[in-house]
Amino acid sequence: MQPVNRMKTEFLSKSSNEAFARVVAASFVAQADPSIDILADIRTAVSEAVTNAVIHGYEEKEGIITMECILYQDHVEIIIEDHGKGIEDIEQARMPLFTTRPDLERSGMGFTVMETFMDSLEIESAPGKGTKIRMTKQLVYR
Amino acid sequence: MDVRFKRDGTALIAYIEGEIDHHTSRILRERIDSKFIVEPVKNLIMDLSRVTFMDSAGIGFILGRMKKVSSIGGKMSIRNPRPEIMKMLKMSHIDSLIKLDA
Repeated sequence: MQPVNRMKTEFLSKSSNEAFARVVAASFVAQADPSIDILADIRTAVSEAVTNAVIHGYEEKEGIITMECILYQDHVEIIIEDHGKGIEDIEQARMPLFTTRPDLERSGMGFTVMETFMDSLEIESAPGKGTKIRMTKQLVYR
Repeated sequence: MDVRFKRDGTALIAYIEGEIDHHTSRILRERIDSKFIVEPVKNLIMDLSRVTFMDSAGIGFILGRMKKVSSIGGKMSIRNPRPEIMKMLKMSHIDSLIKLDA
């Protein structure tokens, strides 16, 4: 399938960029004129993925996060990548309520939210190498 | 993000405005906790009518305040969440732990 449009951006792993990333992703997807509910789901999922990279990937130290959005006729693919710590046990990380940072009042719901709010979620990660999150969302429901 | 307070008997009402994510929840947590401790109150009401975005950091933030409030024998409740905020609250089943006035 041929993409209709594509964008890629990179930014520092600062918590203030969580809002930046979700606003940019939603603005890009808005050109496909999806419903407000779909845009809200995308904003939330992007926020979760970027927050994970800031807190867990780079452990609140400075690093680069990249975000790519590929727009197709009927769906969008969003890829968020860091080159931080990586995830030891992906299955465990995906479990609702699992968190390695209860000290930060983390709810352990990040991946559950991404899974619930998007149509697909793939996690590629290796300790010491980083984490790549690939999510898709249907923009047109027939 | 901003928060304003009002006291209603034994309850502190926190009117939160703006977006709740990992970045803003740290600031909110500090402001609410420091206000709660100096006021002669034991219950906390969070008014979310002006919250336009909340991700799972908001869930952690709400549960954290709930633990603090229940540790002194108080109760916490949430008021007026918008539909998109309600979706997050329902998903996390927080509505089974905290009184929710829609």
